[in-house]
Amino acid sequence: MNAKAPAEAVIVGAVIGAGHDGAAELVLTLRYENGATAPVVVDAETGFSLMRNCGAESLADLAGQSWRNLLEGLEECSTS
Amino acid sequence: MFDVLIKNGLVVDGSGQPGFSADVAVKDGRIADIGRIEGPARRLIEAEGRVVAPGFIDPHTHFDVQLLWDGAARPALSHGITSIVPGNCSLSLAPIRAADRPAVVGMFQQIEEMPPEAFTTAFDWTWEDFAGYRAAIEPNLAINVAPLVGHSVIRQWVMGEAAQVRAARADEIAAMQALLRECLKAGAIGLSTSFVDVDARGRPVPSRFAQFAELDALAKVLGEFGRMLQIVPEFYDTDITIARIDQLAELSLRHDIPTTFSPVFDSTATPDNVPRTLARVEEQFARGARVWPQMQTRPIDISFSLLRPSLFFARLPSWIRVLRKPLDERIAALSDPETADRLVADVGPDGGERLMGELVIRGGDAAPAELAGRTLGAVAAERGESPARALITVSLEHGLDVALLAASRGHDDTGRIGAMLAHPPVHIGASDGGAHLASFATYGDTGYLFSEFVRKTGALSLEEAVRKITADTAEIWGLKDRGRLAPGLAADIVVFDPETIARGEERPVFDMPGEGMRYVRDAIGVDAVLVNGEVAYAEGAYTESKSGAVIG
Repeated sequence: MNAKAPAEAVIVGAVIGAGHDGAAELVLTLRYENGATAPVVVDAETGFSLMRNCGAESLADLAGQSWRNLLEGLEECSTS
Repeated sequence: MFDVLIKNGLVVDGSGQPGFSADVAVKDGRIADIGRIEGPARRLIEAEGRVVAPGFIDPHTHFDVQLLWDGAARPALSHGITSIVPGNCSLSLAPIRAADRPAVVGMFQQIEEMPPEAFTTAFDWTWEDFAGYRAAIEPNLAINVAPLVGHSVIRQWVMGEAAQVRAARADEIAAMQALLRECLKAGAIGLSTSFVDVDARGRPVPSRFAQFAELDALAKVLGEFGRMLQIVPEFYDTDITIARIDQLAELSLRHDIPTTFSPVFDSTATPDNVPRTLARVEEQFARGARVWPQMQTRPIDISFSLLRPSLFFARLPSWIRVLRKPLDERIAALSDPETADRLVADVGPDGGERLMGELVIRGGDAAPAELAGRTLGAVAAERGESPARALITVSLEHGLDVALLAASRGHDDTGRIGAMLAHPPVHIGASDGGAHLASFATYGDTGYLFSEFVRKTGALSLEEAVRKITADTAEIWGLKDRGRLAPGLAADIVVFDPETIARGEERPVFDMPGEGMRYVRDAIGVDAVLVNGEVAYAEGAYTESKSGAVIG
């Protein structure tokens, strides 16, 4: 039997990709309440904000974190 | 007497049909004959063992500014490219009111990384309208130019500062339609728009404030001329890209126009992106829409320096902690022997050989020129250090302004990319020639197509590859008389060695105004390039020819 899906989207994967502009970027995989997963790509600034918000020392630490930390990272970068 | 006679080559005429041995005669800018031709000619080009093909067409460039002092769009022409499409991504150099120049320059600097001196010392900005820009570039062209007009500058012209604030009113949309119509009559071959680009202050460019009704109204004008709509969708998100494909399809069907979007690139991090994108494109083509996805041939490299934190180090927490410090504190930390020892230890027992040994020192920055192009591993070995240690010490020796490149970290699965490039709806392009100057070289993608996907993997035949970047491109963009070798057509011709054509290594040069730096790649295996019947490049050198034109 499958484990119960989380009540909100969570990060279930994080890898580094190569962006169109030649910068390394963070490719997150989010799993949503209904079990669907989808990638979300963020730039370095947002990625570092996300890691800071999550208290993550490495990419592996992002697994299981709420998508709200990603939102906060995006908001920090858009207002800084 | 012919102007030029190209003898004994393998004619690959752009149609995709098998190449055949023949001579090609040129007169008055046109192809006069193809076959076994005897007859005097002012210039003879011996092409035994060489391919004679239509000049390549690059449909996605940003040479708008460079064309004002370099009519050859160097080094694009040397790679066999005889026609370029500038004005992509919503930005062109006209129409722009004099008062709006600073704002638009900021957008260009953001997208193209063009040095400020390019706009202040390299040319006299004498025009405001599209016809004026055309008049400014046309006398010095050695390459053909099929220019797009940018949605952002049209919006800026009509709305002023409000272009980056709000949606347009009905009267403003009507004014944009009239202005677009004027540009198309003056030689623009379509409209470009962007849903992702930002200006120098990080604000969305004007086109991003447009509602669909505005784009629909502008597409209606494109329909009067049967011209192209080019967009940059939110390419980092497949679902949004698919939504944009659907929008483009609606515009294509409603106004009977071709549309194209880029970039489309493959990544192991998002392996479903291209397959899903192409599946939607096929569905829309089946409905009769024309939505051409542009895909680059070259892989994507990651570049970085220790001047700014890069996600390249995301798996190394101790490095991240140091690199996120303010610059002075970062330099102090890296200079601290104990910290440096810990950083080196944290990369693992191999001292970073696996992770960092293949990094290439790029040059063009504070690093000495003799280090440019060398791997960090080789430099480290020479210094008796581990690669991780060498990264720290070399960077510190030059104020951290040492750029490194991790080659082929995206769009690099040759097997997958080859199949994608060969896919019928895929439009080979998206080179971004003339942009990203200080980040990476945007030249040589055509050479890479032949070296990697024709010779090495055989994903495309020689004839298919030529067709993709000549006749297909001309047809998609409605470029009359281009893209094929046939009597009566424009004599845009490239003569190349099919066994060696390739792109050279990336290298920094300081040939931008104000000795500005950019990365370039030299052409390999290109013998001669004719533009409108004149030899524009041969034997490794540009000629004095100015036979390029604004085409459409």
